[in-house]
Amino acid sequence: MPGDIESILIAAIVSWVLFITIDILFGLPKHGGVSGAREIAAAIEKGGGEIHGGYMMGNIVCSPDASAGTLLAACGVYIAGIPGGLAAAVLVYIGNRICYDPGYAGTTGALAATFVIYGFTLLGFSAAHFIAGMVIAILTIQGISHLHASRLISHIWRWRL
Amino acid sequence: MNEFLVFAFAGLLVLGTGATIFETDPFKKLISLSILIGGVIPFIVDQGLLDVATAVALIAPLTTIFILMVTRRSERGT
Amino acid sequence: MEVAVINPQEIALYACAAIAVYSAIRVIAEKNTLKKLPFINVMSFAVAGSIALLLPHPLTILAAAAYFIGTTLESNAIASTYAGGVREDE
Repeated sequence: MPGDIESILIAAIVSWVLFITIDILFGLPKHGGVSGAREIAAAIEKGGGEIHGGYMMGNIVCSPDASAGTLLAACGVYIAGIPGGLAAAVLVYIGNRICYDPGYAGTTGALAATFVIYGFTLLGFSAAHFIAGMVIAILTIQGISHLHASRLISHIWRWRL
Repeated sequence: MNEFLVFAFAGLLVLGTGATIFETDPFKKLISLSILIGGVIPFIVDQGLLDVATAVALIAPLTTIFILMVTRRSERGT
Repeated sequence: MEVAVINPQEIALYACAAIAVYSAIRVIAEKNTLKKLPFINVMSFAVAGSIALLLPHPLTILAAAAYFIGTTLESNAIASTYAGGVREDE
């Protein structure tokens, strides 16, 4: 069983891959979903970033997406196992509709994360590692350098196309 | 909640309060208020008052949204 | 006599609290209002995670979700109002 620091780092990498994959599959970098997302994307682009990365970062701020779904699913699994994760998925679905977002990125992220995290708990991880891991993952995208993060996301978006 | 956590979340309270006092632009003041609320909620949860925490967590953003709606209407109105 | 064992919950809590303080400092240091919002988003993640880690109780999921969706809605409102408002209203 790995130590705690390594577990959190592995959880961070798994969460990062999970939420970026689901967000890109749902096309979050394609366009701003709500008007606030477009404004944030424009501000990031003016600072030197790229517009598609900006759209995704704006969408992450303005509506619960796969990153929010993964975090709340991790909290749910930590507290109550798989039923907790599914309850968190329902709450994320409600949150999406409250924020006028017609998409399913958040709900899908929550459902996928519930099963992935539960699987990892069978390997000796704790869901608490995934809570901290998801916070670290979102920190790398939204909390260090918007410029580089938007370029990275645009780069990954171009691979998909 | 041990001392490190108390200092960290109390630090959020102090930062949020200071920023709200010293910022001049109203939008920046609203953003600093949400730092303040972010610092308060862990203390409420730590005491076990989950219903109070849920209520504060729902009411504080709603009041921000209402403030924005009132301000916007008074700019465009008259 | 209890042996002080660091369990995953405590380490995760320390990480979330530290990230919350770091992102709050970045919010204050940032000059552009719209670019403050992603840092607030990081702080909301950290505080929501801390809520769940502090008190593992089934209702905590509701509190964490309510807090997170509340701050998301608030950031959305600030972002769209800052730039000129939502076109559907009035």
